[in-house]
Amino acid sequence: MENDGKRSCLQPPHEVFWFLLQRLKAAVHYTVGCLCEEVASDKEVQLSRQTIAAISEVTFRQCESFAKDLEMFARHAKRSTINTEDVKLLARRSNSLLKYITEKSEEFNVERKTKKKKKLEDENKDSLEPAEAGGVGSEN
Amino acid sequence: MADGDISDNEPTTRTLLRRVLDTEAPRTPRRRQSTRAGVQRTPLGTPFSMRLRSQTKTTAGRQPHRARSIGRLAHIQTRGQLKEQTPRTLLENILLTAPESSMVMPESAVKPVPAPQVVQVVQFSRRESSPGSLELQLPELNAPTTLAPGRLTSGRRKKRLRLSEFQQGMDQELPLSQGPVTEPPGNTGASSLSSSLNLTFATPLLPQSVQRPGLARRPPTRRAVDVGIFLQDLQDTSVATAFPGDRTPVATLPTDTVLEDTQPFSQPLIGRSPSVHHSLPYPSLSAERTVSRRTRSSGPGLQNNSPGKPAQLLAGKAEEVDALAMRFPNTSSGTSGVDGLEPLLGGVGEEVEERMEESMSLSEVKEATGAQASARAEEPEAHTEVAEAEGSWGAIEEKELEGSSGDKDTEGRTARPELASSTPEFPRARQLEFLEPAPPTSTAVGLFRQQVIPAPSLSSEPLEPLSARLPTRLQTAGPRLRQDPYKMGLSHYAKLFSFYAKMPMEKKALEMVEKCLDKYFQRLCDDLDVFAAHAGRKTVRLEDLELLMRRQGLVTDRVSLHVLVEQHLPLEYRQLLIPCAFSGNTVFPAQ
Repeated sequence: MENDGKRSCLQPPHEVFWFLLQRLKAAVHYTVGCLCEEVASDKEVQLSRQTIAAISEVTFRQCESFAKDLEMFARHAKRSTINTEDVKLLARRSNSLLKYITEKSEEFNVERKTKKKKKLEDENKDSLEPAEAGGVGSEN
Repeated sequence: MADGDISDNEPTTRTLLRRVLDTEAPRTPRRRQSTRAGVQRTPLGTPFSMRLRSQTKTTAGRQPHRARSIGRLAHIQTRGQLKEQTPRTLLENILLTAPESSMVMPESAVKPVPAPQVVQVVQFSRRESSPGSLELQLPELNAPTTLAPGRLTSGRRKKRLRLSEFQQGMDQELPLSQGPVTEPPGNTGASSLSSSLNLTFATPLLPQSVQRPGLARRPPTRRAVDVGIFLQDLQDTSVATAFPGDRTPVATLPTDTVLEDTQPFSQPLIGRSPSVHHSLPYPSLSAERTVSRRTRSSGPGLQNNSPGKPAQLLAGKAEEVDALAMRFPNTSSGTSGVDGLEPLLGGVGEEVEERMEESMSLSEVKEATGAQASARAEEPEAHTEVAEAEGSWGAIEEKELEGSSGDKDTEGRTARPELASSTPEFPRARQLEFLEPAPPTSTAVGLFRQQVIPAPSLSSEPLEPLSARLPTRLQTAGPRLRQDPYKMGLSHYAKLFSFYAKMPMEKKALEMVEKCLDKYFQRLCDDLDVFAAHAGRKTVRLEDLELLMRRQGLVTDRVSLHVLVEQHLPLEYRQLLIPCAFSGNTVFPAQ
């Protein structure tokens, strides 16, 4: 009750922000709970509620930290947009994660390139497609 | 005078004083008002003298003067009653009778506070002057007093003192203090400065000139030795490969001797391989000496010995390196940390032993080339240490920059396959070489080549030629660079750790500490490298370091880098990092 009173005393933007934060935390908690259930069923291990709550809290705080770090990295590279390079820099600590992210980013780039090329090819003649497909295949 | 007539209608203190302070000499006392003024002043004259006497009684140290002044004042009062008692004459009397006082600055400046009467004003001023001198308040008076110029000069001296205080810290402030006046402000400044400048006592003051920015302590003769060392080392490394199992006699030394070697300069980094087989003839000799030295060194303490040890070890070696080590008592601790033995190699003691042997042999002037090699190898360490010293002094930054030299060491370690300090070490060294072929070499070499830390002022000059030379050097003599100074540095850090722990520590615990430090420095340098590459640069800069510190949580939104610099670095280093505006619109360091 006292907390509600305090919240109502806050200015509207703060109050709204706090409310949205709670909703976000709840969403994260729910997702973490689903994932934990999957893992528990996989490993046939029980996970208590406190554990899931702790994991979700840690995840949330880590996401905050990630966001700050990403912003710092982007600013360090004198950019105003967070890039995949920033994400890779963030993930460099864990080798497997870094590998995974790099692969995914490469796939993503390749997809984008193929999409662009397909658009170009559609505009151009159809004879270019096999050559492009071969080039894309070689890239892969 | 018309003005006088008008103002005399309202003889306030202010008007009277104004008239007094006017340069025009009121030759004619206001005779019309003389009687009235006299009537007004005479009753006040007595309380004035009485108050004066009471005040003078309070000032203990000036009794004789006061007595004289009282006597004189009474005399003057009587005289003054006879002649016209104008404010000017009153003030002149006061000036004449004021006692010789010290140069204490009055608490308040001239107080032309409108007291109702001139006499009261005089009393007030007199009161203020009791601790000081009256003439401080009336410098504009034409009444010549010997005290006035004295006071002015003291003020000038005081101003000069404060400026010097600000500029040069405590070291100059104490000798400049000149008596009671300067002491109070000086002491307050000292107390405030001392708390923040405790470290300045250990290090000499920086020259303030910009021409030699930063710590101008680089021994000039270093670079001349490098080439010779390099060539010699080339030969030595080729020779050293033929003697794999020479270290058996060395293996017997205790492992705690590793803690002895704290100075990178003392250890022949590159001359190791040549001195390997050279030192074989004197294993017993060197063992004895090293053991003795170790006992000596391990006995007294840890970091305090670091300046002492290089002096011992560098007996016959490059004096400039020794001098540098001496001059950087604190950085040497860091550098010796760099020289710490690699715990992974295991045979830490043996390696140290060998290094001791080498140093011994070098000091015997039998391995002049080895000495040169070691000196050369130590020079990059010294240079990095210089860079470190000037760039970061505090524990935080010391570690970070230490990692730069540590990174060089990693490179050196990987690149010396044949450097078997002992038979047990040798297979392990080989293992090491194979275990960490790709990542350390690539990263370390890349890092090493990139580690031209453009320190704000200092070591760009020595670092750049070094870095230019070092890449070529690394390919052949790199491993030794990596191993010896790095391990020495780690061992030094371990010693510091055990010192601050205030408890006896197991050797295994110290080894673990070294291992952790090793990993920490590796990661540090990797991060710096990656950050620099992320910004599209090949040089690690201050921004990279700040980013790293931010990631470490040392620099937050509340605590900025400048705050940390101010907290932990002595003034000389702080001036290098944080631009200070000097007189003449100059900002140092220029940005």
